[in-house]
Amino acid sequence: MSAETLQVLADVGKGKSTRGVLRVIILALIAGASIASRLFSVIRFESIIHEFDPWFNFRATKYLVANGFYNFWDWFDDRTWHPLGRVTGGTLYPGLMVTSGAIWHALRALTIPVDIRNVCVLLAPAFSGLTAVAAYLLTNEMTTYNSAGLLAALFMGIAPGYISRSVAGSYDNEAIAIFLLVFTFYLWIKALKQGSMLWGALCALFYGYMVASWGGYAFITCLLPLHAFVLILMGRYSTRLYVSYTTWYALGTLASMQIPFVGFLPVKTSEHMPALGIFGFLQLLAFLDYVRSAIPSRQFQTFLWLFAGGIFVMSLAALVVATSAGVIAPWSGRFYSLWDTGYAKIHIPIIASVSEHQPTAWPAFFFDLNLLIFVFPVGVYLCFQELADEHVFIIVYAVFGSYFAGVMVRLMLTLTPVVCVAGAIAISTILNNYLVAKTPTEEDQQAAEAAEKKGSKSGLKSATKPVVGIYGLWSKSLMVAGMAVYLLIFVMHCTWVTSNAYSSPSVVLASRMPDGSQHIIDDYREAYQWLRQNTKEDAKIMSWWDYGYQIGGMADRPTLVDNNTWNNTHIATVGKAMSSREEVSYPIMRQHEVDYVLVVFGGLLGYSGDDINKFLWMVRIAEGIWPDEVSERAFFTPRGEYRVDGEATETMKNSLMYKMSYYNFNNLFPPGQAVDRMRQARLPEVGPSLSTLEEAFTSENWIIRIYKVKDLDNVGRDHISATAFEKGLKKKKTTKKRGPRVLRVD
Amino acid sequence: MKTSAVFSAVLSLLSLASAASSDKGSSKSTLPSTFKPPQVFKNANLVHVISVEKNYVKENINVVVENIDKKAQNEYYLPFTADQISRLGGVEVKDRKDTSAGPFVAENVEFDPESDTQYLRIRLPKPLAPGAQQTLGISYYILKAYSPLPAAIKQEEAQFLTYTFSAYVPSVYTTSKQKTEVKFPSGNIPDYTKIPGSGDIKEFPQKQGTKLTYGPFDEKPAGAYEPIRVRFEFNRPVTHVGRLERDIEVSHWGGNVAFEERYTLYHRGANLSSLFNRVKWQQSQYYQQGNTHALKELKFPLRVGSIDPYYTDVIGNVSTSRFRSNKREASLEIKPRYPVFGGWKYPFTIGWNSDAKNFLRKTATGGFVLNVPFLEGPKQNEGVEYEQVEVRVILPEGAENVKYVTSIPTQSISSTEVEIHKTFLDTIGRTALVIKTRNLVDDFRDRELVISYDYPLSASLRKPFIVFSSTIAFFVAVWLIGNIELKFASVPVVSKK
Repeated sequence: MSAETLQVLADVGKGKSTRGVLRVIILALIAGASIASRLFSVIRFESIIHEFDPWFNFRATKYLVANGFYNFWDWFDDRTWHPLGRVTGGTLYPGLMVTSGAIWHALRALTIPVDIRNVCVLLAPAFSGLTAVAAYLLTNEMTTYNSAGLLAALFMGIAPGYISRSVAGSYDNEAIAIFLLVFTFYLWIKALKQGSMLWGALCALFYGYMVASWGGYAFITCLLPLHAFVLILMGRYSTRLYVSYTTWYALGTLASMQIPFVGFLPVKTSEHMPALGIFGFLQLLAFLDYVRSAIPSRQFQTFLWLFAGGIFVMSLAALVVATSAGVIAPWSGRFYSLWDTGYAKIHIPIIASVSEHQPTAWPAFFFDLNLLIFVFPVGVYLCFQELADEHVFIIVYAVFGSYFAGVMVRLMLTLTPVVCVAGAIAISTILNNYLVAKTPTEEDQQAAEAAEKKGSKSGLKSATKPVVGIYGLWSKSLMVAGMAVYLLIFVMHCTWVTSNAYSSPSVVLASRMPDGSQHIIDDYREAYQWLRQNTKEDAKIMSWWDYGYQIGGMADRPTLVDNNTWNNTHIATVGKAMSSREEVSYPIMRQHEVDYVLVVFGGLLGYSGDDINKFLWMVRIAEGIWPDEVSERAFFTPRGEYRVDGEATETMKNSLMYKMSYYNFNNLFPPGQAVDRMRQARLPEVGPSLSTLEEAFTSENWIIRIYKVKDLDNVGRDHISATAFEKGLKKKKTTKKRGPRVLRVD
Repeated sequence: MKTSAVFSAVLSLLSLASAASSDKGSSKSTLPSTFKPPQVFKNANLVHVISVEKNYVKENINVVVENIDKKAQNEYYLPFTADQISRLGGVEVKDRKDTSAGPFVAENVEFDPESDTQYLRIRLPKPLAPGAQQTLGISYYILKAYSPLPAAIKQEEAQFLTYTFSAYVPSVYTTSKQKTEVKFPSGNIPDYTKIPGSGDIKEFPQKQGTKLTYGPFDEKPAGAYEPIRVRFEFNRPVTHVGRLERDIEVSHWGGNVAFEERYTLYHRGANLSSLFNRVKWQQSQYYQQGNTHALKELKFPLRVGSIDPYYTDVIGNVSTSRFRSNKREASLEIKPRYPVFGGWKYPFTIGWNSDAKNFLRKTATGGFVLNVPFLEGPKQNEGVEYEQVEVRVILPEGAENVKYVTSIPTQSISSTEVEIHKTFLDTIGRTALVIKTRNLVDDFRDRELVISYDYPLSASLRKPFIVFSSTIAFFVAVWLIGNIELKFASVPVVSKK
């Protein structure tokens, strides 16, 4: 290509509208890339809902589509948490379901026959495209370089930290919430910059949407007042801040209170108090601002002190009184666990038992953010250099996001947007400095020096910046090439992580046949389909809560507990039934009308996510409620080992979970050679026997085992003696001690 | 070419069929409740062949009928119980001597829905002269015919079924001479009813290999009944499809015919006496070479040239399927997610595509003729029965003048209608021909369904035009809205600072 054509191309790129078109095209391509990179699982497996929680959202969406919005709003679900039920309509964030329902109806109106499942599966990738655009908009508010926005959009589109929660099939609240988060922040910055009520109202609107979608809305509820507070402390109170904040708070709070699950929380709980406090504080500042303009400064000083002190004492007293009176709920346990990572482990085992609530390990940051994690501080530093109101926001967000991401793995998600924005600012600054084709000429420099001299002569600080430029072509190309390599590695890393770590549906497992072809292990669906087709419509299934949503979604059967975990005692009851002897468990199961018990067993295949590995959590949660009846110590050998082989403790061997997992397992092997491939343990020659349950179904690779709870014995025996009788064992005669023979005397 | 000759022959038939189908609607006709078939015939000689080799019953009645009335007669009646008639399907009647006479019209007579006796009426194409004889070959199928005995067995035990019928053929006419033969899948027939013999045979039945023969009997009056129950080994799945919905969608633009079949499949055999045991199942798979009464696999021999098959159920794709396609065959072999035992249910969906060239022809007059198999279900050794089959042929948007002809027995067709089906950016919707049938079996695989319709060029251009114009309209609307000034009157730049 000749230099002239390059020039022509460059000229074309300079026209304003051409640039606009180019930007739109680039953004569209970025959105396309972010959608495409999330489709690994659909291409490898199928269009399927992933994991656990998405199955509930999917089921709720189907309910919404089938029964309409108002029935959904009033939905009482008697097929979960049997026999309690769940007021589902009032205890969920409806934003996700309503969004996909609306999309589905829109497509129907265009007579495009799309299955609601496909809408749900592809919702997260579609919204990730929008998130990329929102990141572009937000970054453009921070810097004058448009390239920063485009880079941020690209990072947002493919950063694994966000992909982890938004691959196709990951139909969870976060799928749309991250878009709403970023877009709300963009609108907030826009409102703050312009002091505009319109943008403030828009911000409140999207905040309302966010509240309807995800419990993580509290992050916005705390971050915006914090930003305002920091600005006030910096002496940057302005009418712009007043207008934008009050508009957002008033409208946004009203909007959030429309969601039944949120209701009056915004005025009742401590998590929402900062927003209310700053709202009040801003009113005071506005009032003081007015007073200051009206009265002389001496009097104003005294007035100010008295007034401020009085207000502070009064509001603090009001807060203490309200909290102790119970009007305002104190900080919840989940909240404490954000400050003290050990808190949950001691007080709320159910939170600690979820792997995504664990504190983040250091490598996770690099794994999820790669290059961005070390350009992120640079971007924050560059924000300090400019330090306009919006840069303060990025700094505040960066500090808080980093802290929370360090406390809980899943909050990496809220950190990712700010990392992308800051990283994009840093990289675009570097590229803008090094990629400028024009080197400053000697004359430029001399002129600048001359100007400086002149400036120093006049004794004033130079208003014009010195001409800074990179002269050497070498340093330019080296730096640019280095950045390009880093960016390429970043793209490759993102693709690799997405493909290997985040694209497994976990309902379907993939393995390789000896000839290298893919073999699908589909035990979950095999068993769920069996339940769905061949059991009573209202057969109650007892399983550990992890599988509750899947059973509800795929097997369509009532469950005792599920991933909603709203009732700890109920979960502990199931834990107790699983970890106790049959004689204890059977009455519990009868009382809860359990028909089938489902366990996950990975011993044959070496599948690590099975119930024996989760068993200690069941024991711990049960122990939390019944410390006298269940004891974690009894499941460990005297040497403190957790064993399942011949040396397992008696409590372990007699627990229902152990029996259900290994029942009949030894018959699959030659005598005495049964091996649990997951735990590499040789099992005792005689397998456990069950008397109150009978095996109903075992999937092909034994991952799912389903047991039927026996009905009461026909002749009124207890099950243990009935089983013993059937096996032909002699009943132990309870020999009554007879007294000495006495002659009968009439 | 041969096909074109077939098509032209079919076309001439089509006009007849459409005329007939329009006024008939259903194949039933109403008679007064006091109706009794007139005693105008006599069965001179009758051979009744009952085949229980498959999981449905196929009965053949070969009968020499004689007109004993003084007038020529053309209506022959066959009695069934109300329960039987609801499970009766696929009735075909032919003249055994004259194969060119074609299938005779056979239909259910509806006269008193409460009555336990219902009739099947056979219309002879030419009235039979007094004293004349005609040899009829009547064949029909009875679904849900068996009950397992014992009703619950163990997983590894063999399955036995029972079937009850009459030694004398149920008839409204006097039968001079008759014989009943029962054919079994194997020689293992532990129980069957024995009745005293006649002539030089002491006791019926006579057993020859896998066949039992009752008779020959001498003259029996109308309505003679002698219950016979047989119990025989049938260690194969009793596959029953409660409902099959078969969609055939024709696309002219795509040059494609898409098939989708939704099955509701049951196993009507013996239930499990103790619940499913995986260890035993895996062992039996290994030791007994898979000889079991559970349904493990279904084989669909599709038409050559079928592509993109899929196999799903209500919770997603099922990965246990194989598709072999080459120049000679296109075989889809699917396995249910779990082995289906007696009393279990397994609904699933399969589908595939095929090039329209294989099924669609343009006629000289500008219309189109579509020739597709009416039924293409699985081909199993033990057979498959279908209680309800709904075939829906979705023609392109704007297709008109739809006529059809099919070689499926008319007695099994319960209704036909042309309706509108809206998908994929349709404006007026596509023409869909819906044919509902009942009580079919897999013997009717590959029976033809021929549909002719007109599809004018204007109809084929409708969609591109509408999509184009609405997109343009959308852009124009966006441009117009973008031009609206939403701001307050902008302050001149000079006064700002």
